[in-house]
Amino acid sequence: MGPPPVVTGISPKEGPPGTRVTIRGEFLGTSAIDLIGLKICGCDCLLSAEWKSKNKIVARSGPCKGRGDIIVTTKSGGEGTSTVQFRGYHESIGPVKESAVWVEESIPPAMPWGRRPMSPVSYTPPDPLGLSTEGDDCKFPEEELHELFPDGSGKLSDENFQPGWYLLEHHSNTSYEDLKAGMVFLQRKVEGQKEGQLSFLKANTGAVMDQLDRLVLLKNMYEEDQRKNGKEPLPSLQAAIEDSISLADSLFSEILSRKENADKTREALSLLTRHKFLFQLPSSIDRNIRKKEYDLVVNDYTRVKNLFGNTDIKLFQKILAEIDKKIDDLKTRLYNRMKTMPINVQEQTNYIRLLISLNWEGDAAWTAITSRKDYLMSLMNKVKDHFKKKEDQENNEKGKRKVKESENEGSWSTTRMLWCGAACGALSTELNALWPLARRYFAGELGGQPSASERHDSLKEMIIAAVELFSEHMRACLLSGGGGGGGGGLPADAMRARLNANLRDLRETYDALLKLDLPSQPLSIVEKVIFDYRVYGMTVFLQRAHKRVKGLAEKETWKIEEFSDYGAITNLPHLLQTYVTEALSSIHKCVLISGRREGALLAEGSEPANAAQRHIQQILLAFVAALRQLALHHDGDQDFNNTSLSVALDQRLEESQDASRDTSSWQQRLLVAGANAQYTRRVILPAIAAAANQYGFPNPTQALQATKDSLISLESTIAETYLEHKGDPLVGTIEPSMYMGRHRTDADAAVDDARPYVYEIINNLIAVHAEVDSVCGAASSRYVRDICETVCEELARLAACAPPVCTRAAAVQARLEYTLLRRAAADHLTRKAENYLTEALATIPPLENEEDKKRMEELIAGFEKKMELQLASLNCNMETV
Amino acid sequence: MSKKPAAAPTLHKVIMVGSGGVGKSALTLQFMYDEFVEDYEPTKADSYRKKVVLDGEEVQIDILDTAGQEDYAAIRDNYFRSGEGFLCVFSITEPESFDATQEFREQILRVKNDENIPFLLVGNKSDLADKRRVPLEACRDRARAWAVPYVETSAKTRDNVDKAFLMLIREMSRQKLGLPPAPSPAPARRPRCAPPCCCLS
Repeated sequence: MGPPPVVTGISPKEGPPGTRVTIRGEFLGTSAIDLIGLKICGCDCLLSAEWKSKNKIVARSGPCKGRGDIIVTTKSGGEGTSTVQFRGYHESIGPVKESAVWVEESIPPAMPWGRRPMSPVSYTPPDPLGLSTEGDDCKFPEEELHELFPDGSGKLSDENFQPGWYLLEHHSNTSYEDLKAGMVFLQRKVEGQKEGQLSFLKANTGAVMDQLDRLVLLKNMYEEDQRKNGKEPLPSLQAAIEDSISLADSLFSEILSRKENADKTREALSLLTRHKFLFQLPSSIDRNIRKKEYDLVVNDYTRVKNLFGNTDIKLFQKILAEIDKKIDDLKTRLYNRMKTMPINVQEQTNYIRLLISLNWEGDAAWTAITSRKDYLMSLMNKVKDHFKKKEDQENNEKGKRKVKESENEGSWSTTRMLWCGAACGALSTELNALWPLARRYFAGELGGQPSASERHDSLKEMIIAAVELFSEHMRACLLSGGGGGGGGGLPADAMRARLNANLRDLRETYDALLKLDLPSQPLSIVEKVIFDYRVYGMTVFLQRAHKRVKGLAEKETWKIEEFSDYGAITNLPHLLQTYVTEALSSIHKCVLISGRREGALLAEGSEPANAAQRHIQQILLAFVAALRQLALHHDGDQDFNNTSLSVALDQRLEESQDASRDTSSWQQRLLVAGANAQYTRRVILPAIAAAANQYGFPNPTQALQATKDSLISLESTIAETYLEHKGDPLVGTIEPSMYMGRHRTDADAAVDDARPYVYEIINNLIAVHAEVDSVCGAASSRYVRDICETVCEELARLAACAPPVCTRAAAVQARLEYTLLRRAAADHLTRKAENYLTEALATIPPLENEEDKKRMEELIAGFEKKMELQLASLNCNMETV
Repeated sequence: MSKKPAAAPTLHKVIMVGSGGVGKSALTLQFMYDEFVEDYEPTKADSYRKKVVLDGEEVQIDILDTAGQEDYAAIRDNYFRSGEGFLCVFSITEPESFDATQEFREQILRVKNDENIPFLLVGNKSDLADKRRVPLEACRDRARAWAVPYVETSAKTRDNVDKAFLMLIREMSRQKLGLPPAPSPAPARRPRCAPPCCCLS
């Protein structure tokens, strides 16, 4: 508890109520709230107190009168004391006097019901001395009066009235004479009162009479009033009041209603302004929809929903309903637009978002996905139909002219290529759009119920369905038509280009799908298509080669290209090699190389590898078949030209010889074919195997083996045929010519030379040798050997059939002849042939005398000498081999 | 006097007189509360009372700060009647206020009817020396003529404020104690008063 407040100063020290007083002192409170009480002359002035500092308070004095302390009370110091005092006084104020109090001038002096506040101060009794008062200006200090008359009072009505006080207070400046006159006046007055009531009445007769008159008048009026208005004056008063009320009402009702209207209008206007946003929203939504500013619409809508969503006001609800309807329309529109294809993903996503923010109840994104998928399907079908139609059209147009060609083009036509490209483009773009959309959908970015379990499955099904449709179309487009022969009418380059183009399209699509990170199932479908197409391409190339090889037979010109180790060959084997190599290289170039994430085309033991093997085998066998056909089929009139066979049996016409010279003779062809076959077997097949290796094919051992076997059999067939056609006539000539030269030798005739048939045989052998050698070269020995064998066999047969040799000369003759033959054909004799000759010699008696032996040797030497050239020609090649 | 209990310290009633705006209230407030009020607000009649220790004795000083304006001239007589000592203040920057001191002196003498009433002539606003318009000599001459002390003060810097009040109170208590009333005028007072007066400027 701090020290109590002490007031030591007051400014001003006196004044009328309401004076602004500055109170100074000490400990007047530590803050405004610390000040809890202020009394000036007993009047509470706290309300007006204004705490300035602990030394100063400003307040207004209350309606107090007289001198009094200023008591400040603080929370911290309690009730305080005052060393100075304030004096309150009341000024008689009037219109001309400055006053801090408002003077009501318009109040009438006396209101009928007397509500005028009658302050006791205002009643001042007349001056008992009958003198005018001096006014407030020259006051005798009250303090001194208090000191002079400690127990007195200046008021006339007070018990402790002190005349001195009164005089000092009111007449301190009055002159002595005036006071004396006042004294006289007062004495007279007192005496007047002393005379009693009667004298009072006498003195005031007029006034008393006047009062009585008034009373009578008042009574009369009262009675009359009562008569007129009854005992109760109030009802009429009430009626009057009510009348006045209703009149007032009627007077003001119009104005009031007008005011009410005005208020309502104003209110409505202010409402409109305040909720301008709401009221303008429908039109602004329309406008924004027209401008396609859907985001704005959505924002506005959200805002209006937040602001007025729960409104109870009918008008707002109505507008909201309108807005809702618009929004619903918009939603439907957006929904349809979202569904309507084609549309790019960005836009679609936007629509979906808008729908979501507009609280679309359906699963917008899912619908978008579905519609996209449907669109994709229909797009593919459309593409298919379009190109089918186009193709049909072209076919019809072309069909009239060259049906075959257009058929042949089949899957290689330009239309198909365009179809493929278009379908690929469609698939990749649409999946490109669909898949990210789906992904975002499942990531939950696009609302709806992506978590629904069946969604994933159905999306997968969708994509698989789309991809399957695509693959189906592509199969239809690329893998069918054209009867499988494929591109017969198309040059290889063009075909390869188309194949490449199609493959590239497919692969681009595949790449695009790979990039999308699609699940493996649809990817594998596409991959399968690509793979199949590659297989198809490979097959087509091989089939093409097959076809060409088949056609080789017609292409044979029998022009001998070169002499190989295996004899003279035409370009046929090389053509084969070229065709096969071409096909392989094409395959290698176009389809063998695997794209990204594709299976190897020719995996070990896989179906395509087997197919390739099969095809190669077919090609090679076809070649063999062609060779066979070339070798063994000959025109009827063209027979073996055996002119060179028998000089003696000259059966041929000169003309036919000339005719057959132009082309090569059949036996030549036969031989050439044989040589070709051998060449093929020995050289081309390994070359093809090498090529296959080079181009990354598995080694077609099986095919090669089969071909080899087939070629060997062909070769032997050829050899047999040749022998049959060549040996038979040759052998056939032996007997006649033997007998033509008298086989039965004269017994007595000296043997000086072999008979002509020996020469003929030798000559024939030489001819055959020459012929075979000219064609087959080193391979000719086989033919010659066979022929020799046949000849020896024939000789043995003839020797066995001939009558036994009886004469010595005949024996010598026969021995000579056989020996000579043996000698001539020594290099070509097989063991079998030797046996035959030995057998023939056995029938002949051996030489008995020296003479004969000598003679024989002479003859043989002569023969050798004579026939040196021929023998050499028969054997020379043997030596060279 | 009968109103106050006898135990109470001696009460000295001082009245501030002088023209309006010379600094009566400023001097009073400076003396009372060590505070300088910058803004001017004409006074009507303020009352302050304070205990001070003078020469080892506690006395109470009651200061009546009066209105300087002529509007209130009529009520001055009443105030003057109760006064026991007077501080007659003028502004050294305002010759008119200096002239007015003459009227105040006369009025006081008339009301109190005592030549030796404790009285002090105070030239205020000594801090505004550069604006001085009342010569120091004229002030001294007048004080000598009246046989009263002259002090120059500054309510702003509190220069000589306490001194002025204390001089007056000392004089008043001397008179009340029945000591030889005001020591003989001019010749006697000069040597006594000269030292304090030398601080004028």
